Amino acid sequence: MRSIDIHAHSTPQCFQRAVLAGNDWHGMTSADGELFNPRNAWTPEQRIADMNSLGVDIQVVSTSPGFYQYDKDVAVTTAIARDSNDEIRQMTMDYPDRLAGLAIIPMQDAAAAVAELDRAVNQLGLKGAMIGDQVNGKTFDEPEFFPVWKAAEQMGALIFIHQGGQTIGAERQPRYHVRNTVGNPSDRAVTFAAFTFGGIMDKCPDLKVILAHGGGYACFGIGRMDRGWQVRSEARVNINRPPSEYLGRFYYDCLTHSEPALRMLIDYVGIERVVLGTDWPADLRIDWPVSWVMGLASLTLEEKEAILWKNLENMLGL
Amino acid sequence: MRSIDIHAHVTPQSYISAMKENRVWHSLQPEPLDMEPQLEWTPDQRIQDMNSLGVDVQVASTGAQFYNYGRDADVIAAMHRECNDEVHQMTIDHPDRFKGLAQIPMQDVDKAIAELDRCVNQLGMVGAMIDDKVNGKTFDEPEFLPLWKAAEQMGAVFLIHQGGGTLVGPRSGNYHLPNTIGNLVDRAVTFASFVMGGVMDACPDLKICLAHGGGYTCYGVGRMDRSWDVGRLPQIPQPPSAYLNRFYYDCLTHSESALRMLIDMAGIDRVVFGTDWPFDMQIDWPVSWVLGLKSLTQDEKEAILYKNLEKLLGIEDLA
Repeated sequence: MRSIDIHAHSTPQCFQRAVLAGNDWHGMTSADGELFNPRNAWTPEQRIADMNSLGVDIQVVSTSPGFYQYDKDVAVTTAIARDSNDEIRQMTMDYPDRLAGLAIIPMQDAAAAVAELDRAVNQLGLKGAMIGDQVNGKTFDEPEFFPVWKAAEQMGALIFIHQGGQTIGAERQPRYHVRNTVGNPSDRAVTFAAFTFGGIMDKCPDLKVILAHGGGYACFGIGRMDRGWQVRSEARVNINRPPSEYLGRFYYDCLTHSEPALRMLIDYVGIERVVLGTDWPADLRIDWPVSWVMGLASLTLEEKEAILWKNLENMLGL
Repeated sequence: MRSIDIHAHVTPQSYISAMKENRVWHSLQPEPLDMEPQLEWTPDQRIQDMNSLGVDVQVASTGAQFYNYGRDADVIAAMHRECNDEVHQMTIDHPDRFKGLAQIPMQDVDKAIAELDRCVNQLGMVGAMIDDKVNGKTFDEPEFLPLWKAAEQMGAVFLIHQGGGTLVGPRSGNYHLPNTIGNLVDRAVTFASFVMGGVMDACPDLKICLAHGGGYTCYGVGRMDRSWDVGRLPQIPQPPSAYLNRFYYDCLTHSESALRMLIDMAGIDRVVFGTDWPFDMQIDWPVSWVLGLKSLTQDEKEAILYKNLEKLLGIEDLA
């Protein structure tokens, strides 16, 4: 069985060389980049050896969200993005049958973000960009981001949504890793809502948005969003249909850590919208992702094939 | 079919009178009333509506706007006593139609215990409704443990229900998201706080009902379990999912498939009827909704509509 992983990260080697030599790298230091995880130091060769052991044929590699750096001067963030994207590009050149790439882009400045997305997609051959759920506190229904969506739509670029910085929930409960285990899926539900209730999905009918971590709580919580749309005029300012009708407009990775949750996601959004995503090499990844999907008793073999590779092959033209 | 609703709110008549007469009420300044017209109804009008909905018993709770945990504890303790006396009067006047949940001043745990004790042991109420947080603190904070122990001893039930701003508000105030997503995030964080903070291990008989179906808890528990698997929750002996059946949940999911998943993950004995009467986010025809769900058996519908709450609240004698 082929497999293509949309959710796999990289910590730039150029960053590691600089900070481990005691230098800073565009203002980042060895405190950044989660260097405590030994896998973040692995070379592409070591990465591929691990992919072989996991049964993953292709990773669509994204630079880790610690490198978003949206709160820095846009020139600094752009330099970080360019170096990171160039390195991902080199990985895809060295291993064209094993690695594809996603860019990071300086979202605090839509024009700069569009320029780097254009360079990454049209010059470097990357498949799109990974971005946070928020940019310095702003959600993606803000009009300033609209040029990014229109440009991505025109380029056919994927927008992969993955939290960075403080998540929802962290301010109230800083303990127990809740900022990740509840925060990540909460962030994703709000991002689904920002794109949907904000009217972006209507204005950009061909925009391809992939929500990491199974879209978080979006599908399970859609009934209450629908009820809100029914009874509250402020929920209807931009959309004429209930939010549940937009579930099938997004893509979702399968990173639910729960079979019934994945089954519900498929039933809500459609099997053609769910793709393999593992979160390699974070500790909250799926340990044996291909085996996990293959072993799910509630999925048919066709559904497993769709998730493991067919949907992403279609979408990415791999 | 009998039905008992754990999630139904009251606005005190004494508050309404004070506002209409331009009087300060327990430190609340007079202001024009801006609320659902049903909240001004008399108990008799409320019962007429319950009759039309097919609801036999409401376990009435004074609304979340009356938490006021940020105000002076003595002042709010007096406010809560007045709220609770009024709910108590409803249960005395209509003993076969109302049971009551108390308000308690959570900003002072001793005072909260004292009022809970008065309400449960003198007024015959079944427990208290409380927020997901108290002035920014979550319920794993050690200062709250005496309250959980006291409630456990009394057999009192806590209904957890957000008040004021939810966790989503700072991210987005648009499209009613602070309610439609925020309530559910708040509840998942509260589940995590009780479980991961060790409260459920320390209080094996504590009865907690998470409103709004427990929010995102059951769907999201797999990711919480993963963090336990990789050693991030060494303080609890079992993964968070093992605690799902230690809580109760109302059925207010606004989704049949979400309710089905909740039943499958928490157990049918843990899901109870809750409607959020009379707010716009309520279930419009709640008994009909439950009875019409194709994915539930008749036994499951009976458990949700009344059997579980009869047992939990010890009110089989009301029938």
